[in-house]
Amino acid sequence: MSITTKVVERKGTSFLEKIFLFEIFKGMCVTFGHFWTNLLDNSKLYVRHYPEVNPEITPRWRGRHRLTTHEDGTIKCVACFMCQTNCPARCITIEAGERFDGKSEKVPVSFNIDLLECIYCGYCVEACPMDAIRMDTGIFSVTTYDRESVFAGIDDLLASKGAFDEEEYKKGSV
Amino acid sequence: MSQLDILLILLRVAFGAFVPLCFIAVLVWLERRGAAFFQDRAGPNRCNVFGFRAGGIVQNLADAVKLIFKEDVIPGHSQHKFYFVLAPLIVFVCALVSFAVVPFADTLVIDGKGYVMQGIPMSLGILWFLAIAGFSVYGIILAGWSSHNKFGVLGGLRASAQVISYEIPMGLAIVSLLTVYGTINLNEIAHFQGQLLFGFIPMWGVVLQPLGALIFIVAAFAETNRTPFDLAEGESELVAGFHVEYSSMKFALFFMGEYVAMFVSSALIVTLFFGGYQIPWLSTETLLANANAVTIGLIIFIPLASAIFTAWMRKNNRSHYNRPKDPRVREANVYTVILWMMVALIEAVLIGYMLNTTGVADRVLVVLLQIVTFLVKTFMMCFVYVWVRWTLPRFRYDQLQKLGWKMLLPLALLNIFITSAVVVALS
Repeated sequence: MSITTKVVERKGTSFLEKIFLFEIFKGMCVTFGHFWTNLLDNSKLYVRHYPEVNPEITPRWRGRHRLTTHEDGTIKCVACFMCQTNCPARCITIEAGERFDGKSEKVPVSFNIDLLECIYCGYCVEACPMDAIRMDTGIFSVTTYDRESVFAGIDDLLASKGAFDEEEYKKGSV
Repeated sequence: MSQLDILLILLRVAFGAFVPLCFIAVLVWLERRGAAFFQDRAGPNRCNVFGFRAGGIVQNLADAVKLIFKEDVIPGHSQHKFYFVLAPLIVFVCALVSFAVVPFADTLVIDGKGYVMQGIPMSLGILWFLAIAGFSVYGIILAGWSSHNKFGVLGGLRASAQVISYEIPMGLAIVSLLTVYGTINLNEIAHFQGQLLFGFIPMWGVVLQPLGALIFIVAAFAETNRTPFDLAEGESELVAGFHVEYSSMKFALFFMGEYVAMFVSSALIVTLFFGGYQIPWLSTETLLANANAVTIGLIIFIPLASAIFTAWMRKNNRSHYNRPKDPRVREANVYTVILWMMVALIEAVLIGYMLNTTGVADRVLVVLLQIVTFLVKTFMMCFVYVWVRWTLPRFRYDQLQKLGWKMLLPLALLNIFITSAVVVALS
């Protein structure tokens, strides 16, 4: 099998290119074109007006975590520690307790995620056998005024809702 | 000295001192907005006073407040605290003082007495600029050396090597220019450019000396330490170069000095090569002879220009997302009202002037027109500075020296020979 070679054309050897001026003029025409269109009509700028206009987030995007529930509102998590074991950043801390409603044997008493430690890799979501933890809240900005409120407890995680409907999420997570 | 003399001296000195200072704000804004538009961004659009953003100029106020209230650090390890404090002063003052010889209007003649419209009415002209511009590099070297920081020293060294290399082609470009003009007085140079070549081309320096103009502009970019020649502060390799140890208002002085230098060298490029205060095809004499026609032209032109500006502003000054009772539309409404009130005032003054015209008023009108022309030209040259900054990448150090010594220097010498030959042949 012969190797296919591609000859790359060397730029900058012709006389016109060597005296810079013509090429500089061409480059300046390009930038001025941008300037002029933006000056005449600034509605087509690429940059988003961020705090007012949020980016569109797809279902596959990994945002802040949440804990999902069964249809009757009870927690899906069975405290199997798969996510905690799998977490490369070691930001998940689970405390297990006994479960009495018959859904399973164990239930997390506390489920803490240190959002400052978390690297948003999504391994916890992949590890979970119960589809109990998801990162589909669409919250990408985790900023607070104090350190305490970045530790997401079980109540926070249960309270946050998914930003996408079930069908879209399933399509994205395959 | 009569009262008129004193008044005119005050006016000229005030113009020479305050216009560069006001232009700092305009240029910082131009740099930000220009950079944004060149890169398809929006630029400063949040900072406001009661919802009025003045197109982003209010951002400068925030900058000023920040810089004034920052801690002013003098590094403890520095052995030369006096020079450390002196350096930004040299940079800023040199930049400011070199504007003093640039004429911003033709000589104003009142009662047979001429008033040269320069900050300092002297005939040294271009020599003064060369002397002062050469001096301002001492500030940079001193800053780099006295802050006792290797990045600072490297930045200072680079700046000095660069300025020395580029001062030679610049001086030689000026030599060929002086051969053409036959004078070093900037006012006479600007006056010379009011003539017409072959009867229809304005006899600007750039037409007579295209090569000289090119060399001078490139060297002027290097003298002001602007991209593509800003190796002295190359962020990627020298952190901030010579001003790395400076904070607060000392840093602000360097920053403002850079913009003043940019304004002054733009003003000088305009004076030497783009006709100075001359309006193309309308020399001072023509303007004075047809003062009434010029006034009628202005009376028609000002509302037209304002109408176009208003339409542009109302189109662009609105929020591009859903916003109840868009405050930017309200802002634009207020600006429109203010603008048209000013237009009405100017129109009233112009019509009043038309009705009872005198000789002195004609001259003052011409001077005002020329000042506006000069400032517009300088602003456009400053825009070229910004434009080049956001188009060209920085030169490597050896490329910079090669360009200075191997290309610009021989070209400048060649230009002198050609120019002298042509001048001798024609005389």
